[in-house]
Parts: sequence; structure tokens; C-alpha cells
Amino acid sequence: MITTSRRARLGWNIATYAVLITLTIFCIFPLVWTLLTSLKYEADIVTQTMQYIPKRITFDNYVAIWTQSGFPTLVFNSFVVTATTVVLCLITGTLAAYSFSRFHYPGRGVLMLGYLVIRMFPAVLMIIPLFILMRGVGLLDSRFGLALAYTSFLLPLFVWMLKGFFDAAPKELESAARIDGCTRLGAMVRIVLPLARNGLVATSVFVAIAAWNEFLFALMLTTSQGSRTWPVGLQLMVGEFQLPWGVLAAGGIISIIPVMILFAIVQRTMVHGITAGAVKG
Amino acid sequence: MSTLTLNGVRKSFGAMDVLQSIDLQLEDGEFLVLLGPSGCGKSTLLNIVAGLETPTSGDIFIGDKRVNDVHPKNRNIAMVFQSYALYPTMPVERNIGFGLEMRGVEADTRKRAVDGAARMLQVDHLLDRKPGQLSGGQRQRVAMGRAIVREPELFLFDEPLSNLDAKLRAEMRTEIKRLHNRLGTTVVYVTHDQIEAMTLGTRIAVMKGGVIQQLADPMTTYEKPANMFVAGFIGSPSMNFVNGTLARDGDHVVLQTEGREPTTIRLPRVAANLDGLDGRQVVLGVRPESFSAATGDTADLVGTIDVVEPTGPDTLVVLAVGGQTITARLGPKLTVSTGETLGLTIHPDSISLFDPKSGGRIG
Repeated sequence: MITTSRRARLGWNIATYAVLITLTIFCIFPLVWTLLTSLKYEADIVTQTMQYIPKRITFDNYVAIWTQSGFPTLVFNSFVVTATTVVLCLITGTLAAYSFSRFHYPGRGVLMLGYLVIRMFPAVLMIIPLFILMRGVGLLDSRFGLALAYTSFLLPLFVWMLKGFFDAAPKELESAARIDGCTRLGAMVRIVLPLARNGLVATSVFVAIAAWNEFLFALMLTTSQGSRTWPVGLQLMVGEFQLPWGVLAAGGIISIIPVMILFAIVQRTMVHGITAGAVKG
Repeated sequence: MSTLTLNGVRKSFGAMDVLQSIDLQLEDGEFLVLLGPSGCGKSTLLNIVAGLETPTSGDIFIGDKRVNDVHPKNRNIAMVFQSYALYPTMPVERNIGFGLEMRGVEADTRKRAVDGAARMLQVDHLLDRKPGQLSGGQRQRVAMGRAIVREPELFLFDEPLSNLDAKLRAEMRTEIKRLHNRLGTTVVYVTHDQIEAMTLGTRIAVMKGGVIQQLADPMTTYEKPANMFVAGFIGSPSMNFVNGTLARDGDHVVLQTEGREPTTIRLPRVAANLDGLDGRQVVLGVRPESFSAATGDTADLVGTIDVVEPTGPDTLVVLAVGGQTITARLGPKLTVSTGETLGLTIHPDSISLFDPKSGGRIG
């Protein structure tokens, strides 16, 4: 009896691990493949027989993309656009989320629904109107314009996520702070925001990653090297007669490094933030 | 220290009236307890006094100053919340001193004030800890420290003891009373616990449905409840109610009970002012402790024992009297058992009569 149940449990464990390992390989393989490709000589990439592990390693691709293309500018642009998007979302989104969480006013429900509706439309649908709008106000082909465009579709996510964190902060704390001498805004900044810190970090990281990796808006709304971001820049390296796999792979690896560093730093806070309130404690 | 005056304070949320014209006058140093069941409007009233809610109409005065449009921070009040509402990210010292910090009090003065309050409440060894590292009782003390450190004109307590266990609650109750005696600050205290109300308040306002049912000192509220709601809400076990009709039987006024097996309850002689009420339908109210066991002719009523509950200091006996149920609090070590008949006398001067329709007090 015991042996049967033990055997059944072992079977389940094996099956579970098999599924998990398969999924992990499925997720990690493209990354590993990109890394390996970036370290190969061009001649070793396109070969008759597939070469999984490179026989010889080179960093030429990294040197090439960093020195012979505008990649540093592209990465810098991406930094600026991402940072601007996060700052814009933090300032406007925090206030909006607090207002949705704490106040009741006419049109509140409609506004919140409006924020959600934006997420329901495909991004492609928004591009043409957004393009016309940006051209009208002279923000086409500018980093700020692109950040504004990102904010328009990332803000709903930010506000809805943050509202959940604000809802979890007891209202009595603010009442106490107001009696102690804070204004509404003061109570939010001094009491609620420190409490929702993990939530703020988690939400900001989501927004930052989305902005960092975004391609479609960047392709449509930027035209010059001065404001182009790295995903667009990489794509434009693919020419009609050339496909520099090694250089592209090196660019890809460089581009995911900031995201990995960001994750490594805030991982703990972020997981805290995401799972906050999930269990009593 | 200050007075508090409420004139015709009303509060509605949409079509729902939560408070219906509340009038109150609190003298300097008084301890007013707002007592009532959940949803009676007592916390809303407290929030209106604090400035956390705005009244739909009516005026609030703290001292001589009308404070309807004054921000909570400028009302010079302090509030202790049910959940304590300690700032989780700040250590105890900063929690207590936060109000002073916001008012721009210098660090040295602030530290002295915080130390003084912490010593008074015996939390001076916890100043470096965060609220999450404190026990319920310690949090409660810190919350009180935060309130007293500012030396406010008015203390507001919103069910501050309801999250504590029974033993700690009794201790903190004593502590609050001691604090009030020492500081003499005017207090408004919200609770649904009638023991807290009786022990702490100099006056109790019993509320129901957004209306103050009775505003009086604790003993008056207990002995002469204004209506059946107050009578039933205060006291545990609650007051016995017996429906019947008043009649005269020789020297006595008696109550002929209603129900399946009508019987007669003799009312104490002191109820002479009841003479004019012959033939009137009433509800008789008698507190459980106003009964004593009696035998033979001396008994005012006789019933069959249904349940006997010894509690230690006394024995609760539930009797069936004329188809209605009565609970009597009798002495300890009572040798009675279920099914026996038991005679009871009613203590003179301790009965209440209510109108069966309105529930209001007749005598």
C-alpha cells in the first residue's frame, strides 16, 4: 500500500520535473542561442551543418556593434525614453491611482473603465491617430514624444496595478496622519507611498520593461538616429542583401543586460510587491 | 481642555440618513461614551467631530469656535483608532512624535515630550521598534501615547479596545480611566461594549438608527432606561421584559401576563404612582439582579425553572413564568434544579414600565 502511494508520488514528481524542465529549456534556449551566436565568427554562423557549441569564440561582434554602428546612441535613446516614461507614469499615475482608490466623485467609474478600454484596443489601431496628434503638436521624432506615446498605453496598467496597492493601505492611517497635521497630499506622500513602495517598484519595473522593449510605436514615431531606440535600430541593420546575424545577436545581448541588472536589483522587492496581501501576515 | 457642542448635526449618504439631528453639549473634562450597535452612526458622529467627515447640516463647536470648515489638523484634537493606525514604516518614537513633527516642534522639545508620554504609558523601552514588532497591548499604548503627546483639547477614541483580548481589555480600560483622571481632558469615546460605557463614561449617549435614545449618566441609563432599546442594550444578561396588563389586587398593583398560561406578577409597593395606570397594557422591565428567591406568600411571582447556570459569584436561573421567560441573577451555591417551581420577589424601586407600542418609558 505504502509502496504504491510512494511509487505514484515518484511518478508525479518525475512528470512535474519533466514539464518544468521542458518549459525552462523552451524559455531559455533562444537566449542561450543568441548568446552563442553573438560569440561566433560570421563564417561559423551560416554553415552547412548546424554548429551548436562554437569551436572558436570571438568578441568581434560586440566590438563591431559598439564602434561601427550607432548602437550606443540607440541604447542611450532607449534609456532616456524609458526613464521619461517611468517618471511620467510615476507622477501622473500615482495621483490618478490614489484618486481612484480614495475618492468618490461623479464619473469615477467611467474614467476607470476608460483606462481599461485603452488596453482593449490593439496598439496598431492607435498608431495612426497618435502619429497625426504628434505631428500636430510637433513631437514627432522626439524622445519626449515617444515617451508620451508609451505613457498613453502604459499608464492604464500602472494606474490599475497601483490602485490595488493603495486599496490595501488602511484608510485609518491617513485619517491619523491628517489629524496629526498632514494634508491629503502630505498623508499620501508620507504615509501611503512608503507603504506602497514595493508596489511602486513592481509597477515601475513592468512599465520600464514594456517601454524598453517596445518596437512598433518607436518604428512609426521616430525617423532619425537622434531619437530612435534600440529595437528599431537593430531591425534597421537588416538590409536587403545582408543579414549580420552575429552583430544582431550581440546587440540583442547588450540590450537585455540593463533589464537583467534591473531585475537582479529589485527582484525581491518586486516579488514582495506582487504577492503583497496574498496571504495574511 | 475644552467643551464640545453639537447643534442639529445631520449626515446623509445619498438617500440614507445616518445621523438625524444630533444635539450634544459636553462640559470641560467630561467623558462621553457613544454607545450603540453596529451601524447606529456613532463612528460617523466621531468622524464628524474629528473633521474626517463633513456633516450634511448642523454646527460643531470645540470651545467657542465653530469648526465645521476647520481642517482636522487645526481642530487640536487627537484620535485613537480601533486598528491603532500606527504608521508601519516608522519606529515607535517617530510614531508618537509625528504630530509634533508636523507642527514644526523642535527635535529637542519633541524628544522630551515623546519620552514623557512613553514613560507615562510604559512603552519607553520600545521607542526603537516598528509597530509590526509590538504586541496588541503595546500598540494600543503607543496609539494612546501619540494622542496624549500633543496635549489636545479633545480626545476621540474609536472602539480602541475591541481588538484586545478580554484580560488586556480590562487592564487598558482601567488605564484609560486613570489617564482621564490624571489629564482631565474632554473625551468622546465610541464603543459597542456596555461594560466599557458603564465603567468609563461620566455620561453615556445610547444611539440607534442615527438618533440618541438616551443621554444620561451611567447609573441613570442603567436604572431608568428611557426606552426598551436602551433597557435591552445595557446590562448583561439584559433586562427581562414581560407583556401584560396592570390591575389592582387589594393593596397591590399586579401585572396580569399575556401568553399561553396567563399568571399574575405582584409589583413592589413603591410603585404607588402606578395607581392611575389600572387596565393599561404595559411591558414590565426587571433587571435579573432585582430578583431574590422567596417562599410562600412573600413571593411576587412563581415560575418553573428551565435552566440553572452557576457562574461562580452568582447563579443565573431561567424561569418560565406564564409562558414567558425570565432570567434571575441569584446568589451562589443555590440548590435548585430544573423542573422545580421557584418563587421570586422583586426588589422595590427597580422596575421599569414601558409602552408596548412606542417602547417608551411610562414609569
